[in-house]
Amino acid sequence: MQSEKMGQQVVQQEIALDSYLSTLLNEIPSNAELDKQEIKLDIKPQKVKQLKTSSQVKAKVAVKLVNKESEVTKVLKPLAVMPDWARNEFQALFFKVDKLTLATPLTELLRTICIDKDPTKIPGQPSWFMGLLDTHEQRIGVLDTGQLIFGKTIGQQRNLKKKPFQRILITADGKWGLACDEILSIGKLEPDKVRWRTLRQKKPWLIGTVIEELTAVIDVNHLVPHRKTS
Amino acid sequence: MSEDNKQNDPIMQWVTFRLGDEKYGINVMQVQEVLRITEIAPVPGAPSYVLGIINLRGNVVTVIDTRNRFGLMSKETDDSSRVVIIETEEHIIGILVDSVAEVVELRASEIETAPNVGNDETSKYIQGVTSRDNELLILVDLNKFLSDEEKQELDMF
Repeated sequence: MQSEKMGQQVVQQEIALDSYLSTLLNEIPSNAELDKQEIKLDIKPQKVKQLKTSSQVKAKVAVKLVNKESEVTKVLKPLAVMPDWARNEFQALFFKVDKLTLATPLTELLRTICIDKDPTKIPGQPSWFMGLLDTHEQRIGVLDTGQLIFGKTIGQQRNLKKKPFQRILITADGKWGLACDEILSIGKLEPDKVRWRTLRQKKPWLIGTVIEELTAVIDVNHLVPHRKTS
Repeated sequence: MSEDNKQNDPIMQWVTFRLGDEKYGINVMQVQEVLRITEIAPVPGAPSYVLGIINLRGNVVTVIDTRNRFGLMSKETDDSSRVVIIETEEHIIGILVDSVAEVVELRASEIETAPNVGNDETSKYIQGVTSRDNELLILVDLNKFLSDEEKQELDMF
């Protein structure tokens, strides 16, 4: 009984943090979301009643209950979803993309550089792929972190000519660069000072939140694309 | 370099041209000639990537809007603009570019595959990239510049 209560509390905290971060990350709903809302409004309640028999509804409720239980079980085991580097105290780099402060473990980064020239645009690539840049005898693919984090609709509203990114975080494998506005600091983070997201089907790169600062902790390995060869 | 190495690592010549801030290269063997900009007659109902047609010594040649193809903003032509007449596997077409730069020699080993993070269809004509004079040169495979459907469309002009 007590563990059930604890589970509920944990779920509520997680929902609150998720909702806080979702507000930060999705200040403006995308067109697709607006479309969905419109579709929902078009459904007439009477039609829904006709489509679902009582046994189907019961079955659905049962499935939902089972899912809830398994969610609570997952929430109670955050260690199972925490990356290896998060098991002990770790050093994180705090940086800014637009107005959002983000943190990522130093172990996932190679170095940071200033953007002194524009990346070379490759035709036919998605808008979040800013292009290729040769640096320190390495060729990196530069990514528009704003678009990756805020989504295409909000990310593309930024005029990169007028407000270009200033710095690039290079991933540990040296293949990718995450463009950002500002490097803030390097700080130590205790695993218990971070609320780890246990359900990461959506935004798998968002792995937790620093509770005191309400800063999103991101896993850059889940943010960068899998490199294909053409 | 020994004879063996030369055979394994052949040298190819590339005609380079500019579009916006970037420099591109196409195989010199596929370039027939480079023309100053002449009157390009628009073709009604042509797809957006077709600028129009020109009369090249009695032959009708379709001119492709390379900026449109590469997803760049369109730009007024000027004194530097050129139409590069190229020979692909089945067609002779013209491609409008901002300017033609030079012919460079590249060893096969100098060419690296460009990362492809998007739709395979849209970037299959990018053969590779190489670093040249402190900037990246994007190499274009002209045989894949147009899809089969697009090539069929060209036959109708």
